[in-house]
Amino acid sequence: MRSKYLIAAALAALPLAAAAQDAYVVGVSAAMTGPVAGTYAPVVDAMKAYLDHLNAKGGVNGKPVRLVVLDDQAQPSRAAANAKQLVAQEKVLMLLNTSLSSTYAPMVAEAKSAGIALYFAGAVCPKDTFPPADPLQFCSTAFGANLDSQAALAFVKAQSKEPVRIGFAAMAIPISRGEIDYAEGLSKTLGMTPVEKQITPPPTPDYTPFATKLKDANPNWMYSWAPWVSQVRTFEAMRRLGWSGRYITWAHLNAEEELTRVKDGGLYVIGTNAFLEDNLPVHAEMRAIAHRANLPHPVSYLTEGFVAGFVLETALRNTPWPPTPQKALAAMNSLKVDLKGLRGGPLEWTKDNHFRTRQYYRVWRWDPAGNRVARVQDWLAIDVKQ
Amino acid sequence: MQLAVNIAVLASIYALICCGYVLIYRVSRVLSLAHGELMMLGAYGLYATASLFSGHPLLAVAAAGGLALAVGAAVYAALMWRMTGESVLAAVLATIALGILLRGLMVLVFGTQTQYPLRDLGWTNASFDVGGGARISAVGAALVLGTALVYGSLFAFLRGTRWGLRMRAAGQNPLLAAQRGVRLHGIYALAWALATFTGGMAGMLLASDAGLEGTLVTIGLKAFPAALVGGLDSLLGALVGSLIVAGAEVLLIHYVDPLLSDVVPFVVLLAMLVLRPWGLFGSREELDRV
Repeated sequence: MRSKYLIAAALAALPLAAAAQDAYVVGVSAAMTGPVAGTYAPVVDAMKAYLDHLNAKGGVNGKPVRLVVLDDQAQPSRAAANAKQLVAQEKVLMLLNTSLSSTYAPMVAEAKSAGIALYFAGAVCPKDTFPPADPLQFCSTAFGANLDSQAALAFVKAQSKEPVRIGFAAMAIPISRGEIDYAEGLSKTLGMTPVEKQITPPPTPDYTPFATKLKDANPNWMYSWAPWVSQVRTFEAMRRLGWSGRYITWAHLNAEEELTRVKDGGLYVIGTNAFLEDNLPVHAEMRAIAHRANLPHPVSYLTEGFVAGFVLETALRNTPWPPTPQKALAAMNSLKVDLKGLRGGPLEWTKDNHFRTRQYYRVWRWDPAGNRVARVQDWLAIDVKQ
Repeated sequence: MQLAVNIAVLASIYALICCGYVLIYRVSRVLSLAHGELMMLGAYGLYATASLFSGHPLLAVAAAGGLALAVGAAVYAALMWRMTGESVLAAVLATIALGILLRGLMVLVFGTQTQYPLRDLGWTNASFDVGGGARISAVGAALVLGTALVYGSLFAFLRGTRWGLRMRAAGQNPLLAAQRGVRLHGIYALAWALATFTGGMAGMLLASDAGLEGTLVTIGLKAFPAALVGGLDSLLGALVGSLIVAGAEVLLIHYVDPLLSDVVPFVVLLAMLVLRPWGLFGSREELDRV
């Protein structure tokens, strides 16, 4: 009698097990809610919409892709619990992190103990993804420490006929401060004069006191590499104080929309993703998918998520069925992804380089004469070496 | 001169936020830890009314103010009223739960994207010269004037009107006030409504200056040391505490290190707790009891 129950239970469990194994399962821990959700939720929503679109067309290698998304609210403890659940219960092929850097450590630990890949999509690329890369960590996020400042300051130098007196603005978080310190040092080697550096705590009710000090130093250029709120509020506060110089800053997800809101010809953004203004065929595809999925974000916010979707698609396509974390890891160690023009070239990962072998930069600003966002510099390629 | 303007604007932000903490605490001895969320809800109220009354910015602002008053009264009627007679700790925990609930609801209803209510109202945040080479933004000026108006009105209300007298009586001795015929629930609901209105006003002005996003909640908490420095049950104390904290913050940013701006409110607070734990203008007797 007892064995009959066991057989019945096993038979009942079969469809569930089959369902679980009949898809490529990827686990995501992301800041879907909480104070920083505006930066991360669009990435995950876009990635999910693209994968749903892919599934509707037959999936990858004839199998659907299942994305299990757990919200960590940018809290390390929640990210740790999410990673454990994704590995132990969902048996995912790889982990994805789309959250603040404070959530990295517990996810890295879980990925290491399970021996599976950890892919950062839309989250800051950790140093471990740059060559020589950690065997388990990968990243497709647009911005790259040091490289961004090299490209931004090269642009400033190329644009300036007069001697450059440059000011710097960062947010009081390690990654932003580290990058601005690097940029300050780099500016000296490029013959510029760094005149002031302000580091604002997050969040700040009024940026004017910081902007006052920057304005008093009288820079003709400003460079900021920080979360968007810090970058643009510092700029706006300086303008209200009467500063008339030029300001270059990182092009976050919302940069295109923000250039249109601010409408200031002296605000430049540098980034590695194409803008909707480029009107590529892939943008039409993005618009259609976003419309079908009824996404609550502007289409210009979705590029990073689509890049992640393309990366996952290619990695899983190169993971033969039946998939295992080891097969997925092997596929990611030698990957070349066609980004359909969303960046200056393909995204390429090698065994030693899990960031990308080449990074491409463009610069935009608001063109007051044309009343539109205009490209100021086309793709500039920088090789990513050790 | 610019430093003085910066101090005035930052002190106004803190004072406007602190006002809500003080109003609720002095009347009901409850520390509202949902004040940051209610402040943000006020800002979302403006965002919603700006869309609803498109082309009529003054109507939108008035509607948002009315909405904030109604929300405050509703919070009391739906939640805090049931805390009457319970321990203060239970009431404080209820405000924490309310804050979590509001945060979740705001994400669900309004999403995670940064909003710009000022743009939706059709206004811009221009700046103008105030003499001595100093400039102030339109929103900064509105903050200073709005805070002066709010505090002036509250002082007049508390000292010169019957309802104000009742509110002070309920704060000093609720039992005696009730025995003299003061309807405590009405007074408490009014305190919550006024606190949410002033907090909402702070939220609306901050969102008009810097955009509306999730970090607004944290700014609500950042103003809390100013309320404690001045004395948690004193409106005058909130004003003076805000001025001290803002002054220290702006001067340190300018003359020492910008990174200290995050720490200085708490350094001032610690110093005050050591020297005068009930704050500059707070009531010693009441805080001893807490």
